[in-house]
Amino acid sequence: EDALLPAPQNISILSTNMKHFLTWSPVIVQGETVRYAVEFQGEYEREYANESWIPICECSLITATVCNITEDISATVAYNLRVRADVGTRRSEWGTLKGFFNRITTSLTPPLMKVIADGYHLLVELEDMGPAFQFCVVYWKKGQESRMQQKVVKEVSSVVHLDTMEAGSDYCVKAQTYVEAINRSSSFSQTQCVRAQGGRSMWL
Amino acid sequence: SGELYCSLPNPRNVHFESINMKNVLHWSAPEGTGDGVLYKVKYSVYGVGKWIRKPECRNINRTWCDLSSETSDYEEQYYASVKAFLNGMCSDWMETTRFNPLTDTKIDPPMVSVSSTEKSLSIILTAPEKWKRSPEGESVSLLQVYPGLQYNVSVLNKKTKKRWFFAVSNNTLVVPWLEPGTAYCVSAEIYVTTPLLHSGFSKEYCIATLKDKTA
Amino acid sequence: TAGNKIFHLGPCRVSMSTAEIRSGFTAIKANIQARDPIRTLSILSHPHSLHKVKSSDRCCITHHLFNFYVDKVFKHCKTEDSYVNRKISSIANSFLSVRRKLGQCHEQNKCMCGQESAEKFKQILANYEGLNVTSAAMKSLGELDILLDWME
Repeated sequence: EDALLPAPQNISILSTNMKHFLTWSPVIVQGETVRYAVEFQGEYEREYANESWIPICECSLITATVCNITEDISATVAYNLRVRADVGTRRSEWGTLKGFFNRITTSLTPPLMKVIADGYHLLVELEDMGPAFQFCVVYWKKGQESRMQQKVVKEVSSVVHLDTMEAGSDYCVKAQTYVEAINRSSSFSQTQCVRAQGGRSMWL
Repeated sequence: SGELYCSLPNPRNVHFESINMKNVLHWSAPEGTGDGVLYKVKYSVYGVGKWIRKPECRNINRTWCDLSSETSDYEEQYYASVKAFLNGMCSDWMETTRFNPLTDTKIDPPMVSVSSTEKSLSIILTAPEKWKRSPEGESVSLLQVYPGLQYNVSVLNKKTKKRWFFAVSNNTLVVPWLEPGTAYCVSAEIYVTTPLLHSGFSKEYCIATLKDKTA
Repeated sequence: TAGNKIFHLGPCRVSMSTAEIRSGFTAIKANIQARDPIRTLSILSHPHSLHKVKSSDRCCITHHLFNFYVDKVFKHCKTEDSYVNRKISSIANSFLSVRRKLGQCHEQNKCMCGQESAEKFKQILANYEGLNVTSAAMKSLGELDILLDWME
């Protein structure tokens, strides 16, 4: 087998909100279509299964230089990842990610949030970020920052009721995501304030 | 009786259908057999060495058999099997996959009772009961079977068409500060996180807040 | 949704999530159990049910069982189906991180092994060794829901 084909380089991970992507630089072979294959190895494979590698079939013989590895990075342990280039029967060496990847390092962004005042009721609309996510929603009456209240929202179904408000008062809300599988939270979203019925209704 | 000549086509799609742990074995008639097919049923507890016949489902012509009583211990798992007979011929025994009542049952939505005052709704949620042998039998709420059971309640303002959702851990919810003389429709679903089970939403229960006496 | 729970393992309280193990197993349950033709024998639940284990022994049995799966079971469960293999890898790696959490119980000296748990675990190993290794491993993997139902 001819291994003159260079191994893929610049292999790296893009991981945001528990969605993990492996990317690499394209291998250029004039006039040829280069295809790639991706494999992963978890801590279990390293420690207990003779350092075996497992192919990701969705990223087998692909021409793209990115692979969605989210489905396979499904434990909070250190993973190894590698990529190989193929042109016809020619095959490169494996290019391996420098260092391990653990999903605990995923970057968590604050949730998109919309605060609604409906009469005397304070409500919030949160984006559905997938089953791994819960939301910690903090709300308070403006001016009473010391008496913040918190609600954990697990099931995101459109408009979630937070509390009732005093007439004409302003209430502020901010939210962060929480991922139990890695026991980490995002930073808080921008604060949004609304006014309860019985006064001028405006966004502050 | 001696074993008959077993070349009859097999019953198909032998499976449990379970709701609130009422566990009923269902199957489809063998292909190409008209009327007159009879069946017998047996079941076994996984890990225990013997098949047990179900007398009430011997030589039956229907294609279901209620095995709730035999599979009521949800700390066990089960198999069931069906054999068909017609004109002196029989089929092979056809088995279910392994049935785990705890994870393979479907849960009915909760019962929802709503009362109202001028400005509030009071909602009481009741989780369905686990199937029981007889009406006099001891009632076991699914809340006891699934301690992590929670409710998701939807409240729709019929006038504004706005729908709110409430996550409720216990079984009551009071929604204060509503508009007098307004129709609201309430429905609720049950969800359990481990094992992952969703009941789907109940039908809607509509009620109006009382009219404002001072208006 | 993923649900971290506080597991009460006798005197020990440990917060962990089995939801991902549960969803990984649910995805391959029918496939794995179909590979186990032996109805008359269970590794985990007969002759003695896990549900009969005393509360004080829960931690020890859980810890033994997680080691059992990591050390003995998963490595003999390779299949010809790449999707199934990937899910088994996901479960096995999740076992490692849950086992690490169970280790907290040991550190807190709240994972005592009583006579009963020793007997129970010995029975489990005897059930396991009573079959050839691939059948035993596949049967054990097919019984993961028995372990999870009992733990949860």
